[in-house]
Amino acid sequence: MRKNSIPRVILTVILFVMSLFFLFPVIWMLANSFKTDAAITADMNSLRAFVPPALNGSFFENYVTVIKNTDFIRYMLNTLFYAAILIVAGVIVNGLAGYALAKIKFPFRERWVLIIMMLMIVPSETIITINFLFVAKMGLLNTIFGYILPMIVNPFNIFLFRQVFVSLPDDVWEAAQLDFCNPVKYFFTMVLPMSKTVVATVSVFTFLGVWNDYLWPSLVFTSSDLLTAQIGLNSITSNDNTTMGQTLAVITMITIPVIIIYALFSKQIVEGVVSTGSKEG
Amino acid sequence: MKSNKINSIMGMAFFGPALVLLTLFLFLPMLLTVIFSFTDFFALNPDLTHFVGLKNYSDIFKDELFTTAFWNTVKFVLIIVPAQTLGALGLALLINKATVCKKYFKVAFFIPVVMSLAVVSNLWMQIYSPEGILNTMLAQIGIEAQPFIYSAEQALPSIAIMSVWQGVGYQMIIFLGGLQAINPALYEAAEMDHASAWQQFKDITLPELKPLCVFVFITVTIGAFRMIVQPMVMTGGGPSHSTYTLVYDIYETGTVNWEIGLASAMAVIFVIFVIILTIIQSVLTKDKEAKSNAKK
Repeated sequence: MRKNSIPRVILTVILFVMSLFFLFPVIWMLANSFKTDAAITADMNSLRAFVPPALNGSFFENYVTVIKNTDFIRYMLNTLFYAAILIVAGVIVNGLAGYALAKIKFPFRERWVLIIMMLMIVPSETIITINFLFVAKMGLLNTIFGYILPMIVNPFNIFLFRQVFVSLPDDVWEAAQLDFCNPVKYFFTMVLPMSKTVVATVSVFTFLGVWNDYLWPSLVFTSSDLLTAQIGLNSITSNDNTTMGQTLAVITMITIPVIIIYALFSKQIVEGVVSTGSKEG
Repeated sequence: MKSNKINSIMGMAFFGPALVLLTLFLFLPMLLTVIFSFTDFFALNPDLTHFVGLKNYSDIFKDELFTTAFWNTVKFVLIIVPAQTLGALGLALLINKATVCKKYFKVAFFIPVVMSLAVVSNLWMQIYSPEGILNTMLAQIGIEAQPFIYSAEQALPSIAIMSVWQGVGYQMIIFLGGLQAINPALYEAAEMDHASAWQQFKDITLPELKPLCVFVFITVTIGAFRMIVQPMVMTGGGPSHSTYTLVYDIYETGTVNWEIGLASAMAVIFVIFVIILTIIQSVLTKDKEAKSNAKK
């Protein structure tokens, strides 16, 4: 065992250097989001390119300008609002479906499980055009409903819920029925609280999905009041008056919430990612 | 008998809401896509729609833009898949061996994954800019300025490298999960037999990870075939269509040119392709499981 320790130190050092190279775009983004364009260009030739400027009165200048001159805060709040609705609706709709597929012996259940698994394969980009036409036909373009309705149901989340609910004890469900306990109430007061981990995983992935989504909101929303952060970002960076530093400030602001979510829920995220790999088989 | 009826009602009550939404936004669009693919449906003039048989399908393969988009996508796949799969495996192996700062390494290589495609694209547009930080860094080591996303030759590889940078952490986490699931007794036995590190890797790690490798390989391939947002934000498919991809073509044909019939045929071909890849994956992993079960 002892002979392994020196290569391991070298390995750690190599990994550390690699991680710095790997993260240089992110470090550069953060450091230069506090600088004027002149300072960004001036610093580029030295290591100062990766160091934030001295803390003074104009430290947050880019951020202040963006917040004052654009509706960016509004776009972020819009997105938070959509994410909140979709998390609640998604957990209820996909959770109920997952429970039915796991525990309730209704006709063709096994076949539905198979169909849900096959739906997980279909790339969303291939039906986005038809869904767009459909939402337009219903007169729901530029409405919150038009954006949210097609996003609630998610075969992958149904499957994730089912996998967890299958291992819940059967006798609790039977006891609940004997007690004439309202099954829907039972689902909310017993099943969901017993499955906090999967609820958290689905919620976190829903949040990341909504926050980072690009194609669907760019089709549904054209009115600036309803834009999500990602689409708002586009309208800000395509404006010629936006400086390099301001662009970096905007993309840093968009990234802060996902980093916070990642910091808080990294366990759920890693579990969710690993489960996509281990479900095979 | 009675409980059967209750179960049917309960089942539909629980599954119903999902079923309605699935029907409206997945089954129906899928069905319509297949139907439209045999018509000349033009969204701005839906009344003049005719059944045209397989004409869309034969038109697609004569369409120069589609062919360009197809080969561009293949190029993306050929760069991204090996780089991202091997990169993720390499990182996972290194991090698994590291003794300190394991947590930091996992976080560091995963951060780009949680950033959005639009953010990453905007950030790398700055990095790739002619007077940008990357060209400045290259100048320091004596390499002349490169045009990156502004030239037809370099745009595609530049976007591909950026995509690998963003995605590699995801598969790294999957591989790390797989590595941690390997029974340590296997390595202890190998140590007793004085097996070298390379032998342990070749005879234990790699065979144990094989199903996961297939899974990662196929999912990265499908992911690379779905490339659209990065070229959309960074280059608009250019310069001279050098970064125009399959999904980009489906998207533009459908939502910009409104040729729904043609776009649907492209989408059908694309889905069939993805299904074939998924079948290959399940056959390859099933085969492996059957063998390992036989051994037991």
